[in-house]
Amino acid sequence: MRRRNLLRGLALVTAAASAVALAGCNANARNTASTQTQTATTGGTLYILSDAATQNYDPAKSANLATTSLALVHRRLTAWNVAPGQPAAVVPDLTTDTGKPSDDGRTWTYTLREGLKFSDGTPIRSQDVKWGVERSFAPAFTGGGLGYHKTLLVGGADYRGPFEGQRLASIETPDERTLVFHLARPYGDWPWIVSTPAFAPVPEGKGAEADYSEHPVASGPYQLAEYQKGVRAKLTRNPNWDKNTDSVRSALPDEVVFQLGQDTTVISQRLVADSGDDRFAFGASFVSPAQLAQLQNNASAKQRVVTSKSGALAYLALNTQKGPLADPKVRQAFQYAVDKSAYQIASAGSAQLAGDIATTLITEGIPGREQYDLYPTQPTGDPDRAKQLLAEAGYPNGLDNLDFVVANTNNLPEKAQAVQASLARAGIKTNIRSIDRDAYDAEVTGNQVNYDLTLSSWQPDFPSANANLQPLFASSEIGNGGYNLSRYRNPEVDQLIERAQSTVDPTEAGRQWAEIDKKIQQDSPVVPLIYTRNSFLHGSKVANFFIADFPAYPNYLQIGVTP
Amino acid sequence: MSETALPQPSALAAQNRSVPAAIWRMLRTDRWALAGALTIALLGLLAVGADVLTAIEGQDPFSYHTDALDPATGGPAGVLGGISGTHWFGVEPLTGRDLFAIVAHGARTSFLIGLAATAVSVLLGVLLGVSAGYLGGWYDRLVTWTADVLLGFPYLVFMIALGVVVPASVPRPLLLIVVIGLFGWPTHARIVRAQTLSLKERKFVSAARAFGAGPWHVFTVELLPNLWAPITVMATLSIPGKIGVEAALSFLGVGIPPPTPSWGRTISDAIDWVRSDPMYLILPGAALFLATWAFNVLGDGLRDALDPRTGVRG
Repeated sequence: MRRRNLLRGLALVTAAASAVALAGCNANARNTASTQTQTATTGGTLYILSDAATQNYDPAKSANLATTSLALVHRRLTAWNVAPGQPAAVVPDLTTDTGKPSDDGRTWTYTLREGLKFSDGTPIRSQDVKWGVERSFAPAFTGGGLGYHKTLLVGGADYRGPFEGQRLASIETPDERTLVFHLARPYGDWPWIVSTPAFAPVPEGKGAEADYSEHPVASGPYQLAEYQKGVRAKLTRNPNWDKNTDSVRSALPDEVVFQLGQDTTVISQRLVADSGDDRFAFGASFVSPAQLAQLQNNASAKQRVVTSKSGALAYLALNTQKGPLADPKVRQAFQYAVDKSAYQIASAGSAQLAGDIATTLITEGIPGREQYDLYPTQPTGDPDRAKQLLAEAGYPNGLDNLDFVVANTNNLPEKAQAVQASLARAGIKTNIRSIDRDAYDAEVTGNQVNYDLTLSSWQPDFPSANANLQPLFASSEIGNGGYNLSRYRNPEVDQLIERAQSTVDPTEAGRQWAEIDKKIQQDSPVVPLIYTRNSFLHGSKVANFFIADFPAYPNYLQIGVTP
Repeated sequence: MSETALPQPSALAAQNRSVPAAIWRMLRTDRWALAGALTIALLGLLAVGADVLTAIEGQDPFSYHTDALDPATGGPAGVLGGISGTHWFGVEPLTGRDLFAIVAHGARTSFLIGLAATAVSVLLGVLLGVSAGYLGGWYDRLVTWTADVLLGFPYLVFMIALGVVVPASVPRPLLLIVVIGLFGWPTHARIVRAQTLSLKERKFVSAARAFGAGPWHVFTVELLPNLWAPITVMATLSIPGKIGVEAALSFLGVGIPPPTPSWGRTISDAIDWVRSDPMYLILPGAALFLATWAFNVLGDGLRDALDPRTGVRG
């Protein structure tokens, strides 16, 4: 679980989508039809320019989405069908269906398709999927991966991986094509959980070495042919992948080359210049506000910017366990004090590019979401109302010296200044502390914390309100690497979350999640800021480049190049 | 700075001219030094009067004015970065904060840190240099050796590391002053030590010692009056370096924390905008350039005036 704030450093990743016929419309109005009228053809080399120095292909350690880089190499039990204008759907990938629940949703049975092979030519068996899942429990491989399954599988809480000789009894493999999962409690979102990276097959008995990431055995259309940290990763075709068994990957280019460790400004300038191989390239990181402003005067480049319709929830977390912020009334004052329109401009230069103002915790495009606003005010906020609430709470002179920690990436220090200036209008004085991204993650997800406020953003790991709310507001996610940054603890909310997770019927579950959303906001642990739009830039020979309603990233599995 | 062309105390003593008088003469004859002095005076006025000036303008460096931005891009609305009667230097992209207020308050930051750090390093340099030169022996070797080590030390890297590890509760301006000051003393100490070595052999120093004067008396009464000229020159010439180091550290994100304005940080932010909003880089950049240039030409003029071996430019 953990880790899904979509910062540009994270390499993103993977997913599904059945062959999407891209007729001119894209998720965003800025993108003209011209890039879409070109049809991608099979062949050619696609270049992906990334500011990250590394590219991880070890499924156990990956937090990649089901539609980005990892999914080019590894298939999972299920995949995502994403397309502009449609809600994301979970579809079978290695399996024949998305799972048959029994025992009220405690037991899930899967059947693998016939004829699946690894890149080394050996068949993909149910035992290999089980091995891959077990591997994700090994202490050596637990950093950075999504772990929603770890507490759900019976016996998962104490399991330490297959390399110490123990197997996990709650995953049964009655034959080479059948998998049965036994869960500790009913869980309606299980088909989405098996689309996370840990459910990619790893040949039974392999993958004990720490550098498995650099020579993984592929199940997807590409295999890792060359990997140089900080330089490049080259993917070539996997001869044993059969298109007839795969409905979500079109695998058009013959090769995919990641150029790693690139400066984001340079990436942007190269893509704007659009010459040589850069015509066949796109940037994996967001286009920054300054770069977007510059693109406004460049008609050719402006056409090649694709902006998502919505995206992650950007929010200001208030540490509910510290000082005056422990008082809900004080926290409610923040809802009125913050100037969300200044935040929009600091994020992307304009409200249009930054994304809509957020009032709910569940992000746009998630089934069951209900729009509401518990603290209605104008976009610039209402400092007088905030002052009044603070006075009622016993702080007529405002608050002083609040510690406001942010990571120093992704323009966060600039965004924090916008929040700082708006809080100052209501007499709330803060000190911004911007620190390295890794130090930041360690601090805010650790057990000993000093911060009062922090800025973060969260895109669910799968399109369910469960993945919006549970990681950020369940008390089990406080510290120990969890992302409950507001340290919010409410036993009633914990119970409601568990009940909603156990509800197998999606419509009923959606209704319950919407209720929990409002319930949490009554306590005001966070100030929702915006539903962040992400902008990406691509070269003129890149086709099928689209961003669906969810996730707010391009679907790498469909992108191709034109000659 | 050059360490070669420093005034000789003997010559000064012979001509019997005071340091202030020499400076006054220099300002009347050296037009470049005069220009430098005037620029410093103007920037100093900007720094000291930042609050008053921005109040006259009706702005402050902290308030966001998103209405002054182009709604399509977040850049300043209007030509030349949004320069207008309300915003004399235009506004900052994405925030609409007043750029004149930022430059004026940034001058305050730069001058405060530049001057205070220079004071720290000159004070340390003089005390250590004079004592090393006068006392000699193992103490002299220790000071000289420490100075050599510090001169060869990659201080910028060290300051960046320090900026990251020192807890946020330590005020940043104080930290910068102390750190920049501590790394600045060796050059001063070497010059002062060399001067002291020659001065202490002079008859008036020997006479004072023969009469039983202690080291402190010799330092304050006999040595210091003869060291004022080189101290003035080297202090002036080292201010722009200190201002530059503060700007460099802020540029790299380990200097003055936001929202306190700092030229270096604004220049760093402005790099991304140089193509769409060049004024955002030009104005704070020009302020930093003028400050370092002015101190340099004034320092050069002072050296010319106080060192009779070099002629005064006309």
